[in-house]
Order: sequence, then structure tokens, then C-alpha cells
Amino acid sequence: MDFTQIQSNAVSKWDAMLSSDKPRILVGMGTCGIAAGAEEIVAALDQKLAECDVQADIIQVGCIGLCYAEPLIEVVKPGKPGLFYASLTPELVGEIVEEYLVADNPRPDLALGTRGEGTVDGIPRLFDLPVLKPQVRISLRNCGNIDPNNIDHYIANGGYAGLAKALKMKPQEVIDEVKDSGLRGRGGAGFSTGTKWQFCHDASGDAKYIICNADEGDPGAFMDRALLEGDPHAVLEGMLIGAYAIGASEGYIYIRAEYPLAIQKLLVAIRQMEEYGLLGDDIMGSGFNFHLKVKEGAGAFVCGEETALMASIEGSRGMPRARPPFPAQSGLWGKPTNINNVETWSNVSAILQNSAAWYAAYGTEKSKGTKNFSLAGKVIRTGLIEVPMGTTLREIVYDIGGGIPGDKRLKAVQTGGPSGGFIPASMIDLPVDYDSLAQTGSIMGSGGMVVVDEDTCMVDMTRFFLAFTQSESCGKCIPCRWGTKQMLDILEDITNGKGRTGDIELLQELAESVKDNSLCGLGQTAPNPVLTTIRYFRDEYEEHIKRHHCRAAVCKGLVKAPCSHTCPAGVDVPRYIRYISAGDFDAALAVIRERIPFPSICGHVCPHPCEAKCRRGLVDEAIAIRALKRFAAERGNGLWKEKAKVAPATGKSVAVVGAGPAGLTAAYYLAKQGHAATVFEALPDPGGWMRYGIPEYRLPREVLAKEIDEIRDVGVDIRTGTRVESLDELFESGYSAVFVGVGAHQGTRLGIEGEDGPGVVDGVSFLSDANMGKPPAVGDTVAVIGGGNVAIDAARTALRLGARQVTIVYRRTRSEMPASEEEIEEALHEGIAVDFLAAPTRIESGNGAVELTCVRMELGNVDASGRRRPAPVEGSEFSMAVDTVIAAIGQMPEVPEQFGLASGRANTLQVDRYTLATNREGVFAGGDVVSGPATVIEAIAAGRQAAISIDQYLGGSGAIDETLTPPEELEALPEIDEGETHRVSVPTLGVGDRLKSFAEVELSLGEEMAVCEARRCLRCDLEEE
Amino acid sequence: MSPTTESIVETKVETITLTINGQQVEARKGATVLEAARGAGIYIPALCYDPDLKPYGACRLCVVEVEGMRGLPTSCTTPATDGMVVHTETPRVNQGRRVTMELIFANHHADCFTCAKNQQCELLKIAQYIGMEQEHLDRLRKSAQVLPIDRSNPAFEYDPNKCILCAKCVRACHEIASVGAIGLAFRGYEAKVTTSGDRPIIESICKSCGECVARCPTGALMPKWEKAPTREVKTTCPYCGVGCSLYLGVRDNKIVSVRGDSEGPTNKGSLCVKGRWGYDFVSHPERLTTPLIRIEGTSRGAPHNGQHHDIFREASWDEALDLVSERLLETKQKFGPDSLAALSSAKCTNEDNYVMQKFTRAVLGTNNVDHCARLCHASTVVGAIAAFGQGAMSNSYEDFEKTDLFFVIGSNTTDCHPIIGSIIKRRVKSGGAKLIVADPRSIELGDYAAVRLQHRPGTDVALINGLMHVIVRDGLEDREFIKGRTEGFEEMRQLIEKYTPEAVEEITGVPAPDLEAAAHVFAEAGSACVLYGMGITQHTTGTDNVKSVANLLMLTGNIGREGTGFSPLRGQNNVQGACDLGALPNVYPGYQRVDDPTVKAKFEAAWGCTLSDKPGITVTEVADAIYQGRIKGLYVMGENPLMSEPNLVHARSALEKVEFLVVQDIFLSETAWLADVVLPAAAFAEKDGTFTNTERRVQRVRQAVVPPGEARSDWQIVSDLADRMGRPFGYEDASQITDEMASLTPIYGGIHFERLEEGGLQWPCPDDSHPGTPFLHQGSFARGLGKFHALEYVPPAESVSETYPFILTTGRVLEHWHTGTMSRRSKVLSELRPDGVVEMHPGDALKLGLVEDDVVALSSARGRLETKVHITDKLAPGVVFMPFHWREAPANILTSSALDPQAKIPEFKVSAVNAVLAVLDKAAQDNEFLARLAENPAEALKGYDLTAAEKAALVSGDIRKIESWVGKLDERLRTWLVMRLSQEKW
Repeated sequence: MDFTQIQSNAVSKWDAMLSSDKPRILVGMGTCGIAAGAEEIVAALDQKLAECDVQADIIQVGCIGLCYAEPLIEVVKPGKPGLFYASLTPELVGEIVEEYLVADNPRPDLALGTRGEGTVDGIPRLFDLPVLKPQVRISLRNCGNIDPNNIDHYIANGGYAGLAKALKMKPQEVIDEVKDSGLRGRGGAGFSTGTKWQFCHDASGDAKYIICNADEGDPGAFMDRALLEGDPHAVLEGMLIGAYAIGASEGYIYIRAEYPLAIQKLLVAIRQMEEYGLLGDDIMGSGFNFHLKVKEGAGAFVCGEETALMASIEGSRGMPRARPPFPAQSGLWGKPTNINNVETWSNVSAILQNSAAWYAAYGTEKSKGTKNFSLAGKVIRTGLIEVPMGTTLREIVYDIGGGIPGDKRLKAVQTGGPSGGFIPASMIDLPVDYDSLAQTGSIMGSGGMVVVDEDTCMVDMTRFFLAFTQSESCGKCIPCRWGTKQMLDILEDITNGKGRTGDIELLQELAESVKDNSLCGLGQTAPNPVLTTIRYFRDEYEEHIKRHHCRAAVCKGLVKAPCSHTCPAGVDVPRYIRYISAGDFDAALAVIRERIPFPSICGHVCPHPCEAKCRRGLVDEAIAIRALKRFAAERGNGLWKEKAKVAPATGKSVAVVGAGPAGLTAAYYLAKQGHAATVFEALPDPGGWMRYGIPEYRLPREVLAKEIDEIRDVGVDIRTGTRVESLDELFESGYSAVFVGVGAHQGTRLGIEGEDGPGVVDGVSFLSDANMGKPPAVGDTVAVIGGGNVAIDAARTALRLGARQVTIVYRRTRSEMPASEEEIEEALHEGIAVDFLAAPTRIESGNGAVELTCVRMELGNVDASGRRRPAPVEGSEFSMAVDTVIAAIGQMPEVPEQFGLASGRANTLQVDRYTLATNREGVFAGGDVVSGPATVIEAIAAGRQAAISIDQYLGGSGAIDETLTPPEELEALPEIDEGETHRVSVPTLGVGDRLKSFAEVELSLGEEMAVCEARRCLRCDLEEE
Repeated sequence: MSPTTESIVETKVETITLTINGQQVEARKGATVLEAARGAGIYIPALCYDPDLKPYGACRLCVVEVEGMRGLPTSCTTPATDGMVVHTETPRVNQGRRVTMELIFANHHADCFTCAKNQQCELLKIAQYIGMEQEHLDRLRKSAQVLPIDRSNPAFEYDPNKCILCAKCVRACHEIASVGAIGLAFRGYEAKVTTSGDRPIIESICKSCGECVARCPTGALMPKWEKAPTREVKTTCPYCGVGCSLYLGVRDNKIVSVRGDSEGPTNKGSLCVKGRWGYDFVSHPERLTTPLIRIEGTSRGAPHNGQHHDIFREASWDEALDLVSERLLETKQKFGPDSLAALSSAKCTNEDNYVMQKFTRAVLGTNNVDHCARLCHASTVVGAIAAFGQGAMSNSYEDFEKTDLFFVIGSNTTDCHPIIGSIIKRRVKSGGAKLIVADPRSIELGDYAAVRLQHRPGTDVALINGLMHVIVRDGLEDREFIKGRTEGFEEMRQLIEKYTPEAVEEITGVPAPDLEAAAHVFAEAGSACVLYGMGITQHTTGTDNVKSVANLLMLTGNIGREGTGFSPLRGQNNVQGACDLGALPNVYPGYQRVDDPTVKAKFEAAWGCTLSDKPGITVTEVADAIYQGRIKGLYVMGENPLMSEPNLVHARSALEKVEFLVVQDIFLSETAWLADVVLPAAAFAEKDGTFTNTERRVQRVRQAVVPPGEARSDWQIVSDLADRMGRPFGYEDASQITDEMASLTPIYGGIHFERLEEGGLQWPCPDDSHPGTPFLHQGSFARGLGKFHALEYVPPAESVSETYPFILTTGRVLEHWHTGTMSRRSKVLSELRPDGVVEMHPGDALKLGLVEDDVVALSSARGRLETKVHITDKLAPGVVFMPFHWREAPANILTSSALDPQAKIPEFKVSAVNAVLAVLDKAAQDNEFLARLAENPAEALKGYDLTAAEKAALVSGDIRKIESWVGKLDERLRTWLVMRLSQEKW
């Protein structure tokens, strides 16, 4: 039978199938499908079809790429488009058979999309879905469409026509065609495939070999597996074309033994080719002979390197050798050999089936065609994708991948597997092609793409990849064998808190050297994760080394418990929660007191970043840590005072400028270290933003007063109403050091017309007036501009000042709102409206009325912060008439110029990140004046650091930590409540009662509630390895 | 004789020019950048580079920058090309090297002060070159991994903590030694050099050759016993006939180190286990240091117990030599010169042998001089002279590099000629050559063979006739060669007609298809050579066997050109030289016949005496001649016939009878124990001279240490004796003897000490300008036309019988040599292989109820011994094998003294023996039932009229009952009985 006949037979069988009057059901039976339960789906289908007496053809196909949606089926009823149903269970399959096949309800609620001609109401076209729209399927053209075990399916879809065409061409013409297509090696290095073939073609030798590299070894990569499982012939046809072009008559497929399904598909495909005379001697009557062997590899990563791969085929230990000689001259068994990877081969068959020009129309100038990626990690839609070269990371992560789960922030995208690099979120618009990736320090690799979010520690992730490459190093050359080990040791030290100054530079030096000096690609690329993370995430390394801090709270050696690690002040959360659970509230308070002087204040107002990292949250809901802290502060007695010590006077004195949380904290600890601390405050009362910013209904003033009194109790002299005009004067009057903690009390201007008119106030002044007992008149209707906590505070305060209607105008949506979730919740609860996606453009005021004109916004692309960027919608202006406009879009510090302190962005002071030293000798600064508007707990942390640095500056040890509890007795602890539980719901004041006054909204926890909640804590700090 | 000499072809070496560090450098085309640089005196550090090994590129210290090339290529793997511009010391290169060295030191657990490698350490040298700084080392994390040291091998130890994984050891083991005992295992930093299964080295297939140790650049692989020498002396190995060149390191008159001579043309630096570790015998406390004279009245039959003071008294040289001279002259006078005989020695130098045969002929006046070549290659000399006119190996080791096919028959090359074994394995493994192996044992080389034939002992003629039958039948013979260069083909062709594969299968046990395959592989090879050893020669048909080999070579035209050849592998270090220099009863030096009057006249003139034209008797005839009273006095130099002769009981009783026996040796050997006078001789390391190896290469032996006590060189002792007997030779040093040899021995005509400095010369080397002869028989044979011999298969002299149901075949093991006088006094060699064993097929062992390590009694018609059994499927059922090195169980007690009629070589390879569990054998001596049980258990039981109760007792293995009939049994015998009886079908 000649090929034309084979072809026409295949086409008629295929057409017969398409025009059959039986419905057909395609089931995704790739490894991903089977792992998700596709076999049960097939069984359920069989059973249900029999039960309902429906005749249908079930066709098992490969993976279509939507791995997140497996098990996946396509149901095609005669004359109708195919309907895809995703994430199936046997029960759902039953429903679909009954309702769509027996009845005619397509169940739009279950269907994912349609394929083929025609539309179905309520179901989008599959290829219009964001996940598929940007994709172009060349290499994966048949995956999910055809039965990989049926060669006729492949042939009917154009299969082996490329080979037939090639065999009519001269080998050189075939090579030229591939060259013209611009195809570059999809194994990762991106060398021109046609040129590579040319070398092998030109090499002299009686025997030549073709090898398909299917040793896919990157953790998380599955492109080649899926392709071989879904369309083995596309790869095999490519190999035959290559063999003909270079003059090889023997070939190997080197595939890892861990891919049993792919191996089975290949073996079936090879047998079918032999039956059709497409393999063996005199293929298609052309005189071209080709024989193929499948060689199973034992799973060594290095065997993906071509010389190691060949050594492995030859039966030796898979170790690379130096080149030259290149495999094109002396490869397998010393003969000229050409190796390409799975994806390259399947592109080759597509190129010959179509044309070089057709192929070259896809992609970029230097990277033609498409590229497959296995999209994995912190992304909603994981799966196998194929996109034209030049598609941006943004399109891949957000459009195809659907973004990051759990509203987390994107941190980086890792490409190229363990030897690739991390591309930071800021480079999200990078087009994915060989050269752009290389410029970032990463590589294309074979197509692994791992999305990394904020909960990933870059140092730890780098350590993980190094551990992989190190353990997969063949050990032959010294830089790779011991260089990767040395880097791994250093990374382990860093993640264990044993990092040393100079380690980052050492890592860089080692990485460069290993890259430069290693024998093969494994060693030459293994340092990429190190180099790219240092390049883009150096801060994280420094935090690990200098502060023993892991911002993602994952490094086990540093992080006792993620909650306390995340707390800026490092409060030992699990320990005080344990004391609460045991009923020892004195001790609980003492534990908190070991790190902060404002337990109660924090218990009221802390935005509790700790709770976001609480491991209990992964089980059910995070522990209500802040509420427990408040409880401890309320119930705990003076145990802490008994143990607290004040060091003998050192005779040194320190001036603290500003009595906010940073300044008071610094003064407190300095006094305890024996220094005379004097706090200068321009305003009438101490407390800073705690007093003049945070409304009373959130922080009762007696709580504030009590804790400030306790600061005074250790000897701190607070001089209110005293504005410091010059630091020189302070030094002249005998202070040895100064801490500047003046906060950020200057409202940020809107920058629009009319913002200085009557009826327009800024949020800072508004709140501070309200808190100073000079409540401004707000009228009936108030518009608050902004989305942060100040905006919410202003809105709620306005409500309490008598406004009937308060509207918050925010330019993005709720999910981007920076204010804390519970504040937003309470505001809405109290009847405050939020107008999302609106931005003010103009304010006109007069006659006691204010007209606020806004424009509608829409969200565009994601910006560097990982949030989608708002853009005005043209012609969408609208106005609202209000009595008062409160502009609360941000604050800035105001530091007298004569202080002589260097400042930077948004008027913030520039200090050493770790010591808080300013440019002036003996002057330190911290809190909002350095960070910009932040939180009380961050200000406390800054105050602590300032106290440490100043104490050290004054010759002390800087040891401010205290132990205020006796050693913990762990034997008699109450058991952890491991059942599925809910987080305690904190009692609040009824809305009606709230608006009458500034009474505290949130109420105290009862003892039973607190103890129950405390017993939910998993005690991560006691966890043993 | 008309020796053909290969003209030295001037091959013009193509050169290229490149620029290294701004300097124009010329290099051989094909050289690597590293070779080009080093050739020009530009140093590039490297740890994994070794000129003898394939480029590896792993240590990354030899990286350079090459203009136009990406990255930092390793100079050891990068070919130098014309016009290339190379920089070897750029900042980038130096930075890379420094980091690489730092990484090595971070993983190197060693204290250089206590490391035995110390100043020899390549790592240390490169560290100094690069200039390592402490601050750089301190910043790195030191590896916490401390691995155990492998001290399992008696010769060397392996400390993986000092290993840098340059893999030189692994590559040497694979590429040079062709053993492959070690390899890289595990991945990442856990990668290490180890054995299969990560077992201790001693449990691996390691042959302890130490090639790895010699190549290790650090102290990871270190000899256990070596010390740093104060000087080194180049000499030639005294073990097998390969003739490896080596350096002995000397300190305080003691050999403290050994290293292979990398310039040595024979071994190119390689050594085997004996050659590397086996020299401590030289300073062994049992060395003879003074002449000894038998105390009057002590019996020759006294058992050898090592305590010689009861038997011998120490004497001065004068007294001893006077006594010898007197007794020899007296005997000569009384019984005529032919009543005296001398045994010369294949272990001694050419000069010693020349002097000995001259002494025998010119002083004693007889041609009764022979040596143990008689026991190994006498048949080669006779057979090859008959076929070609020349008795030596026709080719060179160099040819082994060019051959397409090795046919190894009757040679356990990897054990007996390890360096040649390695060459064969290397050539076969690299795909450069094929291999056919024919041997009654399943020897190691068989594992590499394209075709492996396991024929019955003594069926070589039939086997080769069968091969030739197939070749001729299928028209694969080289008709042109046969026509042009041979005679006697037709007669042979007719004879082999009946040796069809089927007929040959019947005789040899080799399946016909295997034979056909072998014939085709052999005949279709472009060039083939046949290597053989004692398996061919030590037969009553030894000469026929050799002629058969010659037939096969001539039939296929595989002689007289490159890559082809006739390669008898000589067993002892200088057996070739001893033959060449006339230690044979029928020829003068250079194979000049004693019965040729012109020759006789030449020697008479040269030596100034009258000589006998009557060929003397052979070694193997001496014993009978003593019995018959024809030989009265015997002078043995460096031979140990009481271990090496067949039928030792007979040989011993002959030597006990001889009237006067002089033994000159380095130890009190089994033979010396019987002597009247024992003369202490110098060992190889204590004298000057020459050895001739199996490829006819004459090489220098140089004195490294002073002999112990009063021991003297053999030639000096014999010359002194000649003096005393009135015929002074007048030699002042060994070179004078060499010069005299050259003047009288045409094939050695151009051989003088000063010409041997550059690696020796291969004879024929007729004159001072002749470059030596790498291969013989080019163009024509020494006898003109080559002669085919039509040879019928004749079975061996002995065959199995009911009494002696096993065929014993003897041979060597790798770690020992000859009669063990030297190798068994080497600490390493004796620890590696302390005991002798008999090897037996598992089926036979099962039948006999033997388990591994059982002590077995072996007996033949001639004697009995006991030894341990080693059960192995390397033997065919019915064949047992025993090495002959152990005097505790001397295999030759059992062997047959049946001789090849032409060459007088004994049939060591086929003796009929019985084997029985030793305790059973002892118990059987006085119990008839056990005796019959030992002989044939099934028959024994049937032969008795047993009651039902007795039968039941036997069936159930009721030992108590059995003991009540046969008496108390040894514990092993009890378990044996239970096991054996349970096997029987009652």
C-alpha cells in the first residue's frame, strides 16, 4: 500500500467518524487526566451510557493543556459543536449523560466551552477563553484532538505528509527549509536547528545517528511527556525528516523510565509505523531506511545533556564529556549524531507539513514559532500551554494562568527549570523569547515556568533549586560538584540564620566561577537561580543575613513560628497564646511585654500581619491573635513589672524628638538601659498618631494614657508642647544622641483643581482636629477620597460627627484596597458607601456646597506592585454634590530643614536600613518619618531598633530583650483543639450605639472565648523536625 | 638464518603553529592546547590530565582563553589548531583556577604534614603555583563529610577524603589495566570513586596492579609499604616474560619503592601486581648470605623444615668453591665429562646463562646443560623451527596494537602475562580488535571474546584441524600466501578433511557452530595473531600443537606482516634469553648446533678449548639418567626442579641419589635443601646484565642494591669456579660477557650495554648499527618456505579411569610466580593469595559432597597431596585445576612425566587424578567401608549386604549407627556423610 492510499484510507475513516450519527466523547487520558481520575470517568461513562442505552464512541485522547481542569471530556453530538466539561466527578458525568445525551440540556453551568462550528447559548467558545485565547497550537496541534494510539488519526490530520514532502526533496533542501523556518532548539539552548543539522549532514561518516532527547528532568516540567502521550507521531515524523536530512539510518529516543505512558504510546506508534512501512527499509519507496530504538533512561537529570545522554545510551555512566569533538562530528558510538528534543521534532514535522514561511510568521524576529511551557506554581490555571514566542509573562501569568490564587502578590516567575533564573514581578511585561530571557539572567530552558508569590522566600527557593542541581550533578568536574555544594552550604547557612557578612559577594563569585568553569550545561547554568535572585532580591538575602529575618516566614532555621517571625517587633505570639490557653494571663502579658511597651494599644489597633501567616489559616481560619493580645493586656497583671529591670544610670542622655509610638518605644528602652531619655513633643499630649490619628472608637484614650504612663514610670521625661527647632541645640545642651521620630503628619495633596477650596479638608487634619476635641462641622454628606485606613477612619469619624451619608471614592476595586479588611467591613456595616473605580478630577466649592467631579476608572494591566493599574474611562465624568470632601490619599513627613538630615522619596528620612543611623553622627530616625505612613507595630519595631543602635552607639550592648516569665513548663499544656473550628468572633457594639458617640466599637473577649481561641493555636514554635 | 628487518619508515609529523601568551609555538597536528603549551615549556596546571589517558577535562584547572572561542575551554581537551591564539594566565582564567582550588581544599580532609604524599602531591604543587591564601579558604564552608578509609587491600589504601575525583585511577583501571574494578558512583558531592556495589576494594575484581595508585596525584591512593627513596635505578622486572621496565627506589640499601618506566617500550609505565609490589623478597631475612656445606652424615631425605643449621654448616667461599671444584673434577675424571650436568636458569641474566653454559661446555666438557625452558616452551622451539625455521615469537607488543584479531589458546594471559592481557582487553574493549579464546578453563579473557571455545585438555590439534577444515571448506584460506610462501599444504589439506565440525565436537567437546563461528572470525580478520602459552606446549603432543598453530597462521597468511604473528608467551622473565644464550643441550648461544663442526670450531677457537659435539641430555631426562647412574654430579643454578619437575616423588628420589649436588640460589629452595654445597647468589636487583623478554627484546638489568652477606652474582661464582678448575674466564664485569656474547652470537651481534640505554633491542640484531627486529618472517621464513605439517589428533598420555576420574591441569595464578621462591616471600603477594587451592566444577563438588574451602585429598598414580577446594564454574565438569606455586601442596607431586617425544616437554596439562574429602580419605585408609564409599558411594552401598536396619540407618543418615560400625568420625566427615547419603538414590 503506498502512502497516498494510506492517507486516503485514513481520511475516509476520520471523516466517517466525524459524520457518524453517534455522539462521541473525547476523554483526556494523559498522565494529568489519569492522575485526576480520568479512568473513573471512563468507567462511569461506560456504565451510564449502558444504563441509559446511549450508543456513543469514547475516544481516549492526550492532554489538551488544561491540567487544572482535569478530568476533562469533550462531548460531541452529531451536528453540534463539542462541549467541554471540566473538573468532573463520576456523578457529574452521569448528569451530563442523562441531561445532554439523553435529554438535550447542554448544562451551561457545567460546561467550560465549545469547540467546532456552531454556538451554544450560555457557553463560550473554548478558544475564546482567556486561558486559550493567547495560545497558538503548532507542536500541540493534535494533543487532545486525536487518539494517540491511532496512526490513522494522525495521518488524517496531515500526518506524515511532511515526511512524504521531505522525501521528494534533496536532503539539503530539507535542511534549508528548516533553516528558513527559524526554528531553534526547544531543549533550551536555542541553537538553530537547521544549522545543527547542517553540521551533522556535512560530517563524514559511514553511519550517523538521530536522537530524540525525551529526558525531561526539570522539576515541574511536563511538556514533553504530554506531547509524547498526546501525539507521538508528530515527534516521530520529525525524527524521520531529520534522519533523512542528515543521512542517518538509525535513531534513538532517550526517554526517562518514569514516563511509562509516553513509552507505551511511542512503542505503539512505532509498531504502527512499521506496519505502514513508515519505519524500516525503503520508506515510502524512497530508498530511505530508518530504524528506531526506545532507550529508557534511569532518571539522571544530567542525562538531558547530550554527551551524557549518549554515554548513557552506550551503557556507561551518564557523564558529559568536553566538546570538541561535537556530537555532529563524533557522537553516539563515535559517529556523527544529531540530537534534538521532543518539542523541536514535533515542530519539524509541522514545518514540513506546512512551510517554513508559515512557521516563521509566528514569534519574534529572532525567536520564531511557538514555545510550550508547563505553567505551574502559584497560579490559578496550571497546565500545558503553547504560545507564540514574544508573548509576555503578563499574558501567560494573568491571562492564561488566571493570576495568583488567594489574592497574593506575584513575586517572580522562574523559567528554565532548576538551571533557569527568577524574573521579578517588575519585569512582568518581558516578552518570552530566547534573547529577552537571557538578558534577565534566566534561560528559556525546555519550558518549565514556575510562578512564585509573596509567600515564597527567594533564598529558600534558590536553596531548593541548588539542592536539586547539586544532587543531580554527575560529580565529574570540580566547579559543578563542589561549587554547587559550596553554594548550597552557604544558602543553607543563610536560611538557618548562620549567614555571614560577605556571603552574598561570595555566592556571586562562586556562581560566576561555576558558570564559567563547569564542564557541561548543568554546571554552567546551575548558578542562575543564585545570580538572578541576588540580582533582583538582594534585600531578602540581606534580611536573612543581617536581621535573621525571612519575610515570607518560611526558612525553618530562622522562623520558629511564622506569626512571631512576621511581627515587626518579634512578639513571641505562640508563647503568650499558650499562657492564655493555660489560664496564666499574667505570664501572657509578660511575654508580650518582653518585646513591646504597648501591649494594649497593639491589642486594639494592630493590623496583625501575623494573622496572615498563621498556619492555622491553612487548616481552617487564622487565630485571632490581636484579640488575644488585647485580652492578655486587659487581664494580665503586674508580673512583668516585677521582673522588669532598669539598668543603673550610665550618665548619658538621649533626646527623642516626637512622642509617637517610635519615639516612646525608643525612650522606654533607652531609659531601661540606664540612659536619661527625654522626649520632646510639639503637640500638647504624647502619643503621636495614636492620639491624633487613630479615632477613639478604635483606641480608647484611657488605654493610651495608661501605657504612656508606664513609659514615664521607667524614668522617661516627656516634654509636651515643646517643638525642637534644631538638633545642634540638643547636642549643645548635653544630649549624647538624638532619635527623630516625628511621624508623617502632612496630608498628601490630591493635585486637582479646587482642593484648597472651602469644604475640602485633608484626612490628617480632619482626624487630628476630631481627636483634639475640635470636631469640624461636616454637614450631611461627606465624600472621602482614598482607600487606606485613614480614609476609612475619616469616613467613620465623619459619620460619628453627624454626617448622614458618607461615600468613599476609590479608584480601584475592593480587592486592591489597602485598608485593613476588618476596617472596610465595619465601615460598610455602619452604612458607609464606597464608590469603586472612581477618581476625583475637580472640586468646585462655594455657597457651602461642594461639587466633586470624578471620572470612572477601569483596571488595566498589572503594575509592578502586582495590582492592576486603573486608567480613566474617557467621557465617563460624573459629579456629586456634598457638604465636605475629605482627601485621605496619603501622608508625608515634615522634618525641619535645619535638622540637616538627608531625605529621600516623599520627604522620608534616609537611614541605614539596619541601624537607623542618619547621615548625622549620633542621630537616628525611625517610624513613619522614615517609612512613610505605616503601622504602630512597625513604629514600635523602629523604636526598638533605635534603642539598640543608640545604646550601642553609647557603648552599651544593645541587649534590650528581657525575659519576664519563668521558664515555660510544657508538660502540662492543655491539648490543642485540632477539630475543625472557627475563629472566635469578636463581640462589637451594635451599629446604633456606635454612631451616637466615639465609644469603642470592638469589645473585649470573654475568658472562655479567649482560652478556646488560644487552644486553637498549633504551636508551630514547638514543632520538631 | 636470514633475519628480515623492518625498515624504519620515516613518518613525517605534520606540525601547526599557534600563539600562546604571545609566543609562537609549534606543535604536532592533533595535539591539544595543553600538549602544545607544555611542549613549548609553558606550564598550565592540571590535575586530571595524564598523557597516557584520554582527555577528560574534569579538574578545570587547565582552562585557558582562546581568542574567538566562547567561555574558558579546557586546554587538555581542546585541539590546537593552526593560527590559534591562546592566553593561559588571564585574570578570568586565574580567578577560575583559584576558585576551583579553593573548592578542592574546602573538600580536602588532609593534613599535608602527615600525608605520605607530601612533596609528591600534585595538588600541593598547583596550590603553590596558584598562590592559595588562607583568607580565601576560611570564607568557604568546609565539607562535613568524612568518609571511611578503605584499607582492605594489603598493598595500598584508599582515603576518599583526599580524593579530588580527577578519575585518573578510574581511567587507568579502565583504559590501561582494562580491569574496571573502580568507577565513579553516586551523584553531586557524594560522588566518589568506588567499586561495584560500594564494597571494599579487596572484594572487587581489582587485580591489585596499582596502576591507580601510581596515577593518583594526591594521597588518596597510597601504597602501604612504600617510602620515599633516596635514588632510583632503572631495571627490568624479574617476574614473567613480558619484561617490564621499571625503577626501583632505593634507600639504605633497600628497595623502598617501585614505579613503572613510562618510557619503557614494553609496558609504557604499567606494572602488574607482582611487578609493582613483589620485590620485598630481595631483602627477605631468609636470603642465603654465606656458602653452606652439608654436615657430614646428614641425610638428603631430611624434611624441609626451614631450620637448616642441623643440616648445613656455614663455610667460606674458598672452602665451598674448593670443595665444589674438587668434587666436579674428581667426578669428571672418574666417570667422564658426561657424568656431569648443569641446570642453568631462566631467572638469571643472559650473562649468567652464557657463563654457565660456557662453564659446562668448556670447563666440565659436556653439553649436559639445560634449564626449565624444557618445561615450558621446548615444544615451541622444536615446532616453530620445523615450521618456520625460527623458534621465537615472530611479532612484538607493538603488533598487538595493530592486529584485528587475537586468538588466544592455552594461555591464561591476564594471570600469567598481565600486561599483555591488559593490552588485549583494551584493544577489544575499544572495538579495535576482536578476540577468540580457546581454553579448557573459562578464563577471564573469555569474557571479552567474540567466540569462546572450551575444549577438553589435550585436544588442541583436533580443534585447530577443525578450524582449518572450516576455513578450507568455505574457501577462506589465503591461497596466494600458501602458494608463494609455503610447502606441504596439500598433504595437510587432505588430512584435515575428516576433521569436520561434528567430528571435532566429538573429540573436543566444542559445539560445532562455535567452531564454525571461530573459523570465520579468524579467517575473515584483516590481520590475526595467535597467542599461546603452556596450554599448547605442555603436552605429549606439544610440538604438534605448536605446528598446528603455525599451520593455522600460514593457512590464512597471518604471519610476516604487521598485526599478524606467532606469539608464544614465554613464562619466565629470561627464558628467552637463557635459550638464546645456549643454556640448551643441543645448541650454543644463538641456536648454533653443537653437532655443526664449523660452529664447534668457532667456539673452540673463541674459548680456547676442545668442545664436545654430542648433544647433552635434557632437564627432564636428568632424573632417569641419575637413576641409571649416568649422571653423578649435578650443578643447579637458580632452578628449583623439586617444585617444577613433574612427578616430584620420582624427581626427589633421583636427587637424593645423585652423588654430588651443588645448588646456587638466593634462597634455600626445596632443591637446595638436598644439596651438598649451597652457594648464595645475588638477586636480580643486585647485579648487572641483561634479560630478553618474550618479544625478543634484550633489556638492561642494573644493580640497585648490594647483595646480602657474601652473596655474589651467578656469573661471578661460576667464573671463580672456572678459575679454580683451571680455565680462567677473566671477566671483570657483566658488560664484558655481553660483548663476548655479541661476538659469538649472530642474533645478538649488535647488543652491548651502551646500546640498551634506550629501551632495549629486539633480536635479530646482527651488528652495532642494526636497529633490531620488531617482527620476523617478512618476505620469507628462516627456513625458506614455511612448512605445513599434517597432524593427526593423538590423545593425551593419560586419560581418566575409575580410580582417577578427573583430569588435573596445572598453571599459575596472578599473584604468584613459578615455584613461589620469590612471590611467596613478598608480603603483599602472599597476603593477597595466601593459599593454594584446587579448582573444581560445582557439579563435581556436589557429587563429591565438597563445599568451598574443604580440604581435599588429590591423588594420582604418582603421589598424593591435600589442598583446599575452590568451587567454580570456570572449569568444565571432570577437569580440576591447580597452581603449582605452593610447596605445602605441590601440584607436581601429581603430574605425569610423560614427555613429548620430540621436545621432551612433560605433559603437565593432563594428569589423571582422584579427589576425595581429605578427612574421608584419611578415615578410609583403615576402614574398608569408608574407602569404598570414598571411591564410589552408590556402588559402595550396593556392594554391601546390608540389613534393612543398616540400610535405614544409612538412608536416614543415622550417624551414631554408622559410627558404631566405622568408629568415631571427624566432625566434617559426619556432616559430609549426612549430606552425601541424602543425595543418594537408594
